Amino acid sequence: MEEEHRVTDLIKELVLRLLSQNPQNPSSSIDTQKSLRYAIRILSSLMTPSIAPDSAAIAESIKRQLATQGKSSQALAFADLYTKFASKNGPGSIENKWAVLYLLKVISEDRKNQKSRSDSRVSSGFSASVGLPALFDAESGGYSGVSRNRETLEKGWNNGVLLVSKDPENIREIAVREFANLVKEENEVSEEVLVRDVLYACQGIDGKYVKFDKSVDGYLLRDSIKVPRATRITVQKLCELGWLFRKVKGYISESMDRFPAEDVGTVGQAFCAALQDELSHYYKLLAVLEAQSMNPIPLVSETANSGTYLSLRRLSVWFAEPMVKMRLMAVLVDKCRVLRGGAMAGAIHLHAQHGDPLVHEFMRQLLCRVCSPLFEMVRSWVLEGELEDIFAEFFVLGQPVKAESLWREGYRLHAGMLPSFISQSLAQRILRTGKSINFLRVCCEDRGWADAATEAAAAAGTTTRRGGLGYGETDALESLVIEAAKRIDKHLLDVMYKQYKFKEHCLAIKRYLLLGQGDFVQYLMDIVGPELSEPANTISSFKLAGLLESAIRSSNAQYDDRDILDRLRVKMMPHGTGDRGWDVFSLEYDARVPLNTVFTESVMARYLRIFNFLWKLRRVEHALIGAWKTMKPNCITSNSFIKLQSAVKLQLLSTLRRCQVLWDEMNHFVSNLQYYIMFEVLEVSWSNFSNEMEAAKDLDDLLAAHDKYLNSIVEKSLLGERSQNLYKTLFVLFDLILRFRSHVDRLYEGIHELQSRTMESLSPSRDKTRSRRLLNDKTAEPGAWISDGRKALTQRAGEFLRNMGQDLDAIAKEYSSLLEGFISQLPVQQHIDLKFLLFRLDFTEFYCQLHPNM
Amino acid sequence: MDPEAAQTARESLELAFHMSNILDTGLDRHTLSVLITLCDLGLNPEALAAVVKELRRESCSSSPMPETPSSVS
Repeated sequence: MEEEHRVTDLIKELVLRLLSQNPQNPSSSIDTQKSLRYAIRILSSLMTPSIAPDSAAIAESIKRQLATQGKSSQALAFADLYTKFASKNGPGSIENKWAVLYLLKVISEDRKNQKSRSDSRVSSGFSASVGLPALFDAESGGYSGVSRNRETLEKGWNNGVLLVSKDPENIREIAVREFANLVKEENEVSEEVLVRDVLYACQGIDGKYVKFDKSVDGYLLRDSIKVPRATRITVQKLCELGWLFRKVKGYISESMDRFPAEDVGTVGQAFCAALQDELSHYYKLLAVLEAQSMNPIPLVSETANSGTYLSLRRLSVWFAEPMVKMRLMAVLVDKCRVLRGGAMAGAIHLHAQHGDPLVHEFMRQLLCRVCSPLFEMVRSWVLEGELEDIFAEFFVLGQPVKAESLWREGYRLHAGMLPSFISQSLAQRILRTGKSINFLRVCCEDRGWADAATEAAAAAGTTTRRGGLGYGETDALESLVIEAAKRIDKHLLDVMYKQYKFKEHCLAIKRYLLLGQGDFVQYLMDIVGPELSEPANTISSFKLAGLLESAIRSSNAQYDDRDILDRLRVKMMPHGTGDRGWDVFSLEYDARVPLNTVFTESVMARYLRIFNFLWKLRRVEHALIGAWKTMKPNCITSNSFIKLQSAVKLQLLSTLRRCQVLWDEMNHFVSNLQYYIMFEVLEVSWSNFSNEMEAAKDLDDLLAAHDKYLNSIVEKSLLGERSQNLYKTLFVLFDLILRFRSHVDRLYEGIHELQSRTMESLSPSRDKTRSRRLLNDKTAEPGAWISDGRKALTQRAGEFLRNMGQDLDAIAKEYSSLLEGFISQLPVQQHIDLKFLLFRLDFTEFYCQLHPNM
Repeated sequence: MDPEAAQTARESLELAFHMSNILDTGLDRHTLSVLITLCDLGLNPEALAAVVKELRRESCSSSPMPETPSSVS
């Protein structure tokens, strides 16, 4: 009670002070009484401030206001004062600080408004005392909204609060009524009807006034209907949703219609289902909105508001979110019309890279649905090796091939179907894992991979059943794939190494095809040598097979695994006329499934090339050794020379000597080349290959290692593309050496015959002949020798030696020029190891000094 | 009231008066102190502001046209 008294007293005081501000107008006590009543009425009204009680926020807003008015120094001063003011706490301080601040703010704003508006108010003809600036401004400003109610008015304008207390209902009513009439006059159709029409349009149905117009491709309000332009545009904008809806709906029904006949694909179906779900959410919204649209739209005057009515404006707010989603869907539908499978998922994924969380979330959900068939395919491919892809949507393509090319050609990645959220390397890994399973199943007839797959799934934390993965779990997918790949590849390699003895077979190929087993090669060369000198078309490959068998039996190769030896065969290459056996003979290794994945036909063809080269090299070496057997000096031959005539003897010795020197030179070249091939090419490559074989993690690694091995042999042994010239020169050199060998044979044959003639002529007629020699022409008849005298013999011998000497000279000359060419080409080669060959051949720098220009 | 509280009250009033001047409310010290007291008593500041505004208009509009009391209904 006392407090109430105090309040009344204070209000009285306030009124007095406020009225006494005008000194020229001493107010009468009646006036004061009236004002006091008025003040009490205002204060007792249940007005509440429109803002939350927060003094700091008010202070901030005042400060900003001052600053925007250009009074920055005052703003600073105010901020300073406020901090001091706010720090006053405890007894005696002002408790309700925000109220004080708010009061000051309102009064200050009011004074400002009063100053600036006083002119217009007076001129507009309203009574100054009634003037309510807010209402006045709003109404005359042509505010055309129909949904305005008292609530918004109060909130928007501080001055509007006076309406309640002062209640100039009559004037307001009149204005509002006038406005409503105006609205009715302008609009032929009421807004409720338009709202309902728009709702229809948004379900793709033509309304009464809003209809689909084909010419502009969109929903339009009929031209004949008279509505304000603003309304028309609003309707048009809202109806965009209808247009988008038609598009999405059309796509879905089109896909569904096509489904049984054409292959839409599982991804396409999933996409349609996801869109359909999204549309059913949209239908729910529309149903709610439709229910609301039945409520009448209250006019400004009607104070009772139901709150849940729909105006076009409200509708546009409601439609904001569906519009975004629908637009996205329409864009996706456009994009995906021609796409399928992984490509479709990829295209949708591209749109998911969006900063807006709403869009992002929406796309994520959509993609989850769309990608589920795809992930299911990946899962069954990686864990079971099954390609469940009826519609060719998966990014792994299978094609029926023979078992031997299953690994290389059986499956491949389809770049177009690879969605961008699966990286290239992951895709490769996925491909290889499934391929490994299939390889194990088809080629190795192995069942152990199933355990490996189960283990992998357990390790990755996913179950082997369906639907374990989804979009956005790329990490989970990756870990599953990695686990599966690791185990299955390991299993595959185990099978290759242990069950199919890959390494043993490689070694066997090296020993037999690359002539690594020395004794075997020696025997073989000895046995088949005579046979191979025959023309190619007379040689029987069965006979050669028998010879091969006996070469195996007589060498250490007989202790090798029977399985390996069985695979070694003789192969006759296709031959032309004039080919000798040497040209067509080769060995072959039958790798069989599954090893023929590694040793494919092309690989075997390369082995064959290497074999031919090595075989030729061996043959040349063999020939040189054979020549040495006949040439090496022994006492029997040297004894017989003593009896020769000195001139002939000298000639003979010099020829023999030249022959020895040339042989030596050739032997140096061939044995060094042989050494280089064996130790710097074959063995080094093999050792690298063995290391890589140990380190190989999957079959691809193994294939790559083997390819590398083969390549390095081919490159280093001059068989590569780049060293073709060298290779040709080398073969000419080999031929020359073989020619040399036949010359040597002829020379020594001649010498031996000469010797025997000499002996012959000595024994029957020892008195007259000291020695007799004969030169051996094939044409010479043995009978002629006896009749020939010693002189003739000597003469013929001289002639023969001269001829032989000339031939040898020619060969030597050709040889040295060829060798020079060969050696000079060596440093030009790219391959570093060929430099070692040069170094080896020219160790003493003999050739370097001989041909300083090299 | 102990002297310390009185001191705080005075300072607070002083500060509020300064702010009021910066904001150009046109209130004198005494009126302001009355308003602050009313605020502290829990009256609605919006209503108080309305009173100030209306009474001011009253006093200045009544000076040129003193014969319009009907404006207050």
